[in-house]
Amino acid sequence: MNPIALTWILVGKDLKIEYRSWQAYLTTVFFALLILVIFNFAFDPGSPATREAASGILWVALLFPGIIRLNRSFQVEMEEGTLYGLILSPADRGVLFLGKLLANWLFLMVVDLMVFLAFVIVYNFSFSTQLLWIVLLIVLSALGFSAVGTLLGAMVSTIRTREVLLPVLLFPIILPIILPAVSGTQEILLAQEIQSLNRSVEFLLAFDVIYLAAGFVLFDYVVAD
Amino acid sequence: MSFTWPPDLYFLIMLSPINTSWRLARLYLRIADWSLIPLYFLMVVALYGAFLYAPTEREMGDVQRIFYFHVGVAWNCFLAFFGVFLGGVAYLITRKRSWDHLAASCVEVGVVFTTMVLTTGPIWARPIWNTWWPWGDPRIMTTMVLWLIYVAYLMLRSSLPEGETKYKYCAVFGIIGFLDVPIVWFSIRWWRTIHPVVITSSGAELEPEMIHALFVSVIAMTVLCVTLVMLRMAMRLNSSMAEELTHS
Repeated sequence: MNPIALTWILVGKDLKIEYRSWQAYLTTVFFALLILVIFNFAFDPGSPATREAASGILWVALLFPGIIRLNRSFQVEMEEGTLYGLILSPADRGVLFLGKLLANWLFLMVVDLMVFLAFVIVYNFSFSTQLLWIVLLIVLSALGFSAVGTLLGAMVSTIRTREVLLPVLLFPIILPIILPAVSGTQEILLAQEIQSLNRSVEFLLAFDVIYLAAGFVLFDYVVAD
Repeated sequence: MSFTWPPDLYFLIMLSPINTSWRLARLYLRIADWSLIPLYFLMVVALYGAFLYAPTEREMGDVQRIFYFHVGVAWNCFLAFFGVFLGGVAYLITRKRSWDHLAASCVEVGVVFTTMVLTTGPIWARPIWNTWWPWGDPRIMTTMVLWLIYVAYLMLRSSLPEGETKYKYCAVFGIIGFLDVPIVWFSIRWWRTIHPVVITSSGAELEPEMIHALFVSVIAMTVLCVTLVMLRMAMRLNSSMAEELTHS
């Protein structure tokens, strides 16, 4: 069968599961909203310092729900032992990786955009075309995040302490994605002359490619024989 | 099996893990044993070189002497973590357990050495830069991320049950971790660096005595690193053999 068609079948399967358990969306978005609100209490909302920290707050609110999602992604497969079904299927392991990755990516983008919308409103930023650049940063970083996350998520899915272990493994590795995303977002939000934004986007693209390639190659060894 | 100094062909056999386990374990221990003698000697010379032989730096004063150990240890972090990468790649290709022993032992030693780098660094930085921890510096940040990655590796290792899956996962994580290092470096680099670049392409800006002291210190730390790795590898090999005995 055509690998692209196979990948879409896998993505469709995951999305169908998510669609049918829409509470998962709601919980994840709600968790992110809580982070935004708590930060709003932690900082004085009107002060310029909060505006400077806003980019960091946004990314914390995006990263933690991402972890929940990744943990869920393979937990669903482990519960009924469907992962073995996937492995036994004639599909290539790389296709398996791409399918899981795309499903995670799509899910993350939907959640992230909702959170971003809430962020703009709660933190009183005005809507402008500039914010579309942040959307681009979110889309790109979600890709890298889910590339490494899918690989590591599959790895820790059998471990009892996976909920704690996954962020511990993931965050140091994806630091190169967080850094350009946060500093790029900050630049847009503070509306300075946007100089290094191109650089942020370039960096993110390059890292995405590297992580995708590494994940694609190494996923073969991660899923059980 | 008798062992001669300098080491004979057995040294090369160690590189290709085809030997029987007990011979290898003995070999590791022998290497560790034999390197202890030059290690004591080198350590004394390195201490002498750093504290007595090398002249006091004009502007920084005595605190600069920590530099000899700092650099010696720092280089070995990368050596040890390269060992993790190498062990991981070789394990995934050959599926020989001894490569996992190499990776696991290198991580332990590497984390200890990185901790030493991250301890000696602030001791020097406080009087010189007037700050314990300059966040904008790519080298410090990269070293800290390195430390975080490999501490995470140890956590992953300890939470997986013994078996082939464990070695595979650890190899994969060791490979990603090592590949991540240059990426972390580049992503941090656009911030301004304040780390002194002592050894540039145009040559070292140090007194000759300082270079001698640094050289001895680097060698001493490298021998220490290799000795520790060998000891840990022998320990792992022995314990895996004991496991096999109890299971058979």
